[in-house]
Amino acid sequence: MIELLEVPAPTTIQDLGRYGFQKFGVPVSGVMDDFSARIANYLVGNEDNAPLLEFVLRGPTLKFHTSTIFAVAGDCNIKLNGERIDSWKSYRAEKDDILEVGELNSGVYGYIAFAGGVACTPILGSCSTYLRGGFGRALRRGDMLKLNAPSIPKEGLYLPPELIPRYSGHKEIRVILGPQKENFTRRGIETFLNSYYTLTPHWDRMGYRLDGPPIEHSKKGADIITDAIPAGSIQVPSSGKPIVMLADRQTTGGYAKIAVIARVDLAKMAQTRVGERIKFKAIEVEEAQALLRRREGNLRGIKEYLVGRARAYRIRVSGEEFLVFVKMLDSE
Amino acid sequence: MPIFKPAGDSAIVIIFGDEIDEGINDRVQAVAKSIEEKAPSWLIEVVPTYTSLYIYYDPLKASYSEVLQGVRSLLPAKIKKGKKKIVEIPVAYGDEFGPDIEYVAHHNSLSVEEVIEIHSKPLYRVYMLGFLPGFAYLGGMDGRISTPRLENPRTRVPAGSVGIAGMQTGWYAIESPGGWRLIGRTPLKTFEVKKPNPSIVAPGDYVRFVPIDEKKFWEIYGRKWGKDD
Repeated sequence: MIELLEVPAPTTIQDLGRYGFQKFGVPVSGVMDDFSARIANYLVGNEDNAPLLEFVLRGPTLKFHTSTIFAVAGDCNIKLNGERIDSWKSYRAEKDDILEVGELNSGVYGYIAFAGGVACTPILGSCSTYLRGGFGRALRRGDMLKLNAPSIPKEGLYLPPELIPRYSGHKEIRVILGPQKENFTRRGIETFLNSYYTLTPHWDRMGYRLDGPPIEHSKKGADIITDAIPAGSIQVPSSGKPIVMLADRQTTGGYAKIAVIARVDLAKMAQTRVGERIKFKAIEVEEAQALLRRREGNLRGIKEYLVGRARAYRIRVSGEEFLVFVKMLDSE
Repeated sequence: MPIFKPAGDSAIVIIFGDEIDEGINDRVQAVAKSIEEKAPSWLIEVVPTYTSLYIYYDPLKASYSEVLQGVRSLLPAKIKKGKKKIVEIPVAYGDEFGPDIEYVAHHNSLSVEEVIEIHSKPLYRVYMLGFLPGFAYLGGMDGRISTPRLENPRTRVPAGSVGIAGMQTGWYAIESPGGWRLIGRTPLKTFEVKKPNPSIVAPGDYVRFVPIDEKKFWEIYGRKWGKDD
């Protein structure tokens, strides 16, 4: 069991989301940054979907009542029994050890994974917390978390530093235009693609409101007959200011969607801080899918490496350095 | 002919029309059902809406063009209209159950009894569910009881509350904040996460509101909400 000693900022249990019930109005929810969350799980020997803790801007302080392996994903200072340790690396905690996860230096969401995953009773097939619907609740000081039995706990695994995501600074976010492109003028779409947008203080797990030059609607206007809202949809209400719809978004809505963010860039969007600038770039759906396949290939490589089924080598080719995962043929 | 479009890299949308119409929505529901029944390996889930069908898929299993081809081949040749499934929703109108019913009556120069009669008469169609878990978008409300939303939404509306917002009517399946004019409340649990089909209604169903009195309300309420199963 793990006891939450301090919970200074919203912390919830999440997995990769609740699918199959959107037609009944149930949002998908799940982690805001699936890349970081999946790496955190790999580091402790878990599968991609194992329930873990997601914290916002500042992590909790925990006390271990059992020994386990854990890892923190996020750009933050961490202390185990008062001693500095690294994120993106797995450690063994013994009974009565205390883990203090500090403030994130960049990005918005951090993750703490435990070998075996946090035990929970799934609601509609998922452990993802969805606060508006009363599916689970925000964790509080004094809560005790049970862990599932781990498979093969190993400690000291770490993500090669060149693979650690960097979330600070200005960002280019790739989008696929539509499905309601025709609700915008040509000039509106040009404004959307050629301007900088800044995250306003109105953000949560449901969506991010952006500020920047207003996007002009066509005669069709900002309102549509209510339809579905995929993850990363960019709605533009009559104010012309875009709203990005994220994990806890409602399943359907009535604002025209100018574009949908490519899945490879969703984590980057979610990790944007208030005041940071974003520029959108339109790509075709085929390119977005090719990028996603490549990212998933990389994640598979990382997973194989972390569980010991592959080795990583740095190689130089014509002055460029590459990190190469090599899977051992005799291991299968 | 329906229009097909990508909606991001993990969804395809089929648009069947551009107005709220039972015939268009029949086609949305029929195609949704046909795709769910055939359950291709790339399918994540479908979301039928008023005029369009969103098909969420796994782009690691099939590309956009493959899914597009797959969806076209799965379109049923003929739209079969299934039997109407009618769900009766008992509603206690007025008093503590529907604190805004007098406003709705006054706004439309009707008596409270007339509001109840007009509201409980039609067979409403469930065009889609969305917004919040179990929230059904109904069609078919009589314009004579149309009333604008509250200027200041309530911070807490109990589950089961039945309301009116403009030309729409519906109920809050779970407790939430809300700005609809409340005219009554159903004692049924209309959304239960422990059931494989969590919602009492599905897209394409029909709903009839059946007026009940206070005694009946508490009787059903006690049965449905009394024990935590």
